[in-house]
Amino acid sequence: MTRLSSPDAPTEAPDQAADETEEAPAVDELRDGVVARLAELLGDGLVEHHVAAGQDMWIRVTSDAWAVTAETLRNVLGARYFCFLSAIDWKPSPFGRYLDAEVDTIVHGATAKEPEPQQTGVTGGEARFQVLARVANVRDHWGITIKADATPDDAPRVPTWTRVYAGADWHEREAWEMFGITFEGHPHLRHIYLPSEFEGYPLRKDFPLISRMVKPWPGIVDVEPMPTVDEPEGDTPPAAENAPDGGDPE
Amino acid sequence: MGLGLVESGKMPKPLTKLLNISRKYSLWVYQWGLACCAIEMAAALAAPRYDVMRLGVIPLPASPRQADLMIVSGTVTDKMAPAIRRLWEQMPDPKYVISMGSCANCGGPYWDSYSVTKGVDQVIPVDVYVPGCPPRPEALLEGIVLLQERILNEDPAERWKGDPLVVA
Repeated sequence: MTRLSSPDAPTEAPDQAADETEEAPAVDELRDGVVARLAELLGDGLVEHHVAAGQDMWIRVTSDAWAVTAETLRNVLGARYFCFLSAIDWKPSPFGRYLDAEVDTIVHGATAKEPEPQQTGVTGGEARFQVLARVANVRDHWGITIKADATPDDAPRVPTWTRVYAGADWHEREAWEMFGITFEGHPHLRHIYLPSEFEGYPLRKDFPLISRMVKPWPGIVDVEPMPTVDEPEGDTPPAAENAPDGGDPE
Repeated sequence: MGLGLVESGKMPKPLTKLLNISRKYSLWVYQWGLACCAIEMAAALAAPRYDVMRLGVIPLPASPRQADLMIVSGTVTDKMAPAIRRLWEQMPDPKYVISMGSCANCGGPYWDSYSVTKGVDQVIPVDVYVPGCPPRPEALLEGIVLLQERILNEDPAERWKGDPLVVA
């Protein structure tokens, strides 16, 4: 099972490991070995790591060590399969999602909420933008998710991976146009999905959807508010609302 | 067409009718399958169950230059819009456009997206809108029948009167 950057993964993974002792040993020699080897090769470049025994592993490296990590993983540790490279904007959205958004609260009559504190998922992080990538060693059957903070927040930049993994080219172009993260050394950072004259970085949390600013979602106005369910006390299972997999990481 | 009769606007009515009937039953369709509506369009145009050829509609011309009708089915993005406009310009007159599905009509569920054009009619003129998300093949067939009725009752000279279509 692959869990990517979900903050509930660390708490959940040990439980699962305990439940499935046959399939998922509490000590994962393979993954612990890979992480130990990485720590040895990268030195201070490796900031944090997390191993879900028998399942998966995550590391966070400094942005300076981002390119070196790729080289190490591919050329030394044999992770020759490049799965993907992407980015996350961890900023709590000022526009909210659905009920949190001001334009929507007007319609719903709810009160605007305070933005949640910033969280950065597995292996943590300080910056607003993080790049993440996943590579795998298909011979030894392990995969690893690598994260790095892209700093500074107003002009995030990290080194390119294209010299190590040629396939990272388009992924970096997409991350660049969607999040505005500059990949230093990329041969031609230009738009890949968006029209070439597009301005702004649409997957940033503070990218406004102008249509929504002008006119709230028209579909909601002719819908009656959902009736509130009056259930007897104690009948509702408390886990239903806070199911670890139900919510979004933010 | 019609040895200048159509252009002059002096064509006798029965001849116009005859011409319109023949135009109505030989619509060559140029397809823009841009999203899930294309599945329904394929069912309507290419599958034996709905058999659009019985209406005289011929799918799959080799190029827009051989087409009379263009069906835009699916989500038009700002990046795709110039290509649609350009290929529509290449179609010979008289040409017709059917916009199929909510996305092509008005942006549909992606009305607030940063990348989706809010209706293909912002780029090209549309003759028939087929609503639905996606519309069933029958709905597309009804749109085609509607267009055929319109062609039947059309005065072809109208298409040649006035200023020629100027491309923005």
